[in-house]
Amino acid sequence: MTQTDAVTSHLHEEKRSTVLKRSLRTLAPLWTLLALMLFFSLASESFLRPINLNNILVQISTLAILGAGMTFVLLTGQIDLSIASMVTLVGIINAHMFVNMGIPEPWPSLAAVGVATLLGLLSGLATTRFRIPSFMSTLAMSLIASGLATWISQGRTFFKISEVAAFLGSGRIGGPDGLRVLTVVAALCLLVSFLVLRYTRFGRYIYMTGANPSGARLAGVNTNLIFTAALAISGFCGGLAGLVNMGRLGSAQPQVIDSFMIDTIGAVVLGGTSLNGGRGGIIQTVIGLLIYGTLRNGLDNIQQLDPFMKEFITGVVLMGALIINLLFSGRSVRDRT
Amino acid sequence: MSDTPPILELRQITKRFGGLTALEDVNFDLHVGETHALVGENGAGKSTLMRILSGVYNEYDGDYILDGQHIRLASPRDALSRGIGMIHQELNVMPELSVAENIFLGRQPLTAMGSVDWRTMNRVAEEELRKLGFNINVRLPLEQYPLGIQQVTEVLRVILSGARILIMDEPTSALSPAEVERLIQLVNDLRSRHKRSIIYISHFLDEVMRVADRVTVLRDGRNVATVNATETSKTQLISLILGREMDAVLPSASESTAKRTLLSIKDLSGGAFENVNLDLDAGEIVGLYGLFGAGHFDLARALFGMFRFDSGTITIDGYSFPTNFTARDAIKKGLAYVSESRRKSLFMDEANYRNITLPHLGHIGGFWPSYAKEVAAARPVMEMVNVQPCKPDNPVGTLSGGNQQKVAIARWITYPPKVFVVSEPTRGMDVGAKNEVLSILVNFRNQGYGVLVVSSEPETVLAVSDRIVVMSRGKIVSELANTGDLQKEALMRLI
Repeated sequence: MTQTDAVTSHLHEEKRSTVLKRSLRTLAPLWTLLALMLFFSLASESFLRPINLNNILVQISTLAILGAGMTFVLLTGQIDLSIASMVTLVGIINAHMFVNMGIPEPWPSLAAVGVATLLGLLSGLATTRFRIPSFMSTLAMSLIASGLATWISQGRTFFKISEVAAFLGSGRIGGPDGLRVLTVVAALCLLVSFLVLRYTRFGRYIYMTGANPSGARLAGVNTNLIFTAALAISGFCGGLAGLVNMGRLGSAQPQVIDSFMIDTIGAVVLGGTSLNGGRGGIIQTVIGLLIYGTLRNGLDNIQQLDPFMKEFITGVVLMGALIINLLFSGRSVRDRT
Repeated sequence: MSDTPPILELRQITKRFGGLTALEDVNFDLHVGETHALVGENGAGKSTLMRILSGVYNEYDGDYILDGQHIRLASPRDALSRGIGMIHQELNVMPELSVAENIFLGRQPLTAMGSVDWRTMNRVAEEELRKLGFNINVRLPLEQYPLGIQQVTEVLRVILSGARILIMDEPTSALSPAEVERLIQLVNDLRSRHKRSIIYISHFLDEVMRVADRVTVLRDGRNVATVNATETSKTQLISLILGREMDAVLPSASESTAKRTLLSIKDLSGGAFENVNLDLDAGEIVGLYGLFGAGHFDLARALFGMFRFDSGTITIDGYSFPTNFTARDAIKKGLAYVSESRRKSLFMDEANYRNITLPHLGHIGGFWPSYAKEVAAARPVMEMVNVQPCKPDNPVGTLSGGNQQKVAIARWITYPPKVFVVSEPTRGMDVGAKNEVLSILVNFRNQGYGVLVVSSEPETVLAVSDRIVVMSRGKIVSELANTGDLQKEALMRLI
């Protein structure tokens, strides 16, 4: 018996070192972020100024709201391709009710966010009831949402927006130099998501369902409910981001800004949340968002740069960052079992 | 046999992982036309040695001598090019491709035009299979054949790619007894007729005694002994493996006086079973035995709401489930289910305590589960079933198979159920771990729970059951009391 004990304690030591390695891995995106910030602060004088740092936060706020919802979805191992269309649809519904129908706030905003949540829920039901992969159900939902937006707006842009949307998108708290409301909304979204995922039973179910769906079912978790809830949460976040985005632009356009979807998924995955589910979280998403923001903003701050090169450079840096993440996570190393 | 030089020899192999020594001064040799078995408990170093043999690990101390030359394998591919082929426990087959395609995977014969030469491929595959005594249609997808045939296909693929030395890792763990027989015959055939040399790794000592010429026993990363199979016995092997004598018998049955039926299955029919009637009393272990595909595993799943049934009733302690119930309902009514697949039911990367608290997280932690509360719930049950090491924070994937199984069982006693349904509780475990897991089940029985042990291993069912129910092709064919003189052969004859 003593010999087996010796072996198991050895095994245990080995595991402890892998735990240490694992925590080093999760820091890889943080190193990427620090390296980018160091680079841009050396390459550009204006980058580190408080006003510019504040700019970065404003620039990533919409993305952050979407990213909070996307984190739930990716953690369950699903994906939501409909968020960009949700952003558009919410703006149109709000503006249509407010401008064309003359319904006072807060009803247009509540209705718009409600519709986005409902559509997310429907994607979830399609995924769980009819076993349509979320990749397809949310893609179809994306067309439904953008189609509704085009139909309702008849292709026209609304240039008048409600006071609620204006407040969310361009208001400030505490005078003209105060905090931007949209940054606060984004921070709240991330905070609430963080608390839910880290500390609630629901959060645990999200992680466990993503890590091993059949295992979660065998432990009595209603995984269908979890998948559906994650997509509904993402729909809700899409709705909130829609209001914020509309307020920021000062108009509601029927055209879908496709980059929202790619940028959101990109930022969340870049932070280290796995596309396969079960690994990652809001802290990772925050780091991913900051990497994204730093890169976009930093390139704008380098005067000598050919503006037509920016997208190319962004792509190259993203690819590099993903490879580094993967190298550190040991995933590219051949599995030894 | 020992007068000729060995075809393969390992001398003084030492392999360390960080501070952990997995193998120390291990010697191993293999002669042409010999089957040399490798046995030992989980964690004894078998897998490490196998990975060195097959070229997965190439950093170690010691000598690897093949055909009298010192070599160091660069990779499994390098190993194969030198004639060392590996057949893994989990087969490397493509179920959707045809048998012939699987046999020629990656080296299909081509026609002059450069397209796949189907005719030659099918013909050669058919001939080679026939030489081994298998007459099957090689054009059908492999998935249409039972696991035993899939394994033969894999063996043939490895042989046709030039392997003189075959390393077989637990080749029979998922096979039915008839398939095991055929595989043993195949291995013996390969050795004597085809002059292949075979390294055979298995937990099943009966099998080892039948196929092996010599047996090497590893314990704690060292050689314990290498013995001729004809000069040893199963009992001797067990004591060599364990380093101590095996526990004589498991605790005996408790004499329950008042009968109380906890689980009652009436006329249950579904996709994989028909008209099943079964009662389970408090303080009783019923063994549900059948071959793979007999429907007993699906029946167990149906009890837990995870396999659809069309008619009949399932009653737990007086409560009858509706036809469409979920695992959640089953748990609420006091059912605990341990699946035959630990990989499917456990969260290997997650901490032990999280694996344990998941089914009853609501009871344990309420809306906001706290780390302290969860560990306080997990630690006592881990101690109760003796998980080694008893560290609630370690990922469950770091435990040995037996200890993982204990975790899979322990998760249900944080909030005690009435009935345990345990599928294949001891698959792939060494003797010591098996006994430990089985005595946990016996303890449950003695405490008055009802336990249903669902298994395709006759030993497991015979070891713990008060009553044995035999299933075959979806139907219950026999039910007998386990009085102690019941033999494995008797049980297998019933099917």
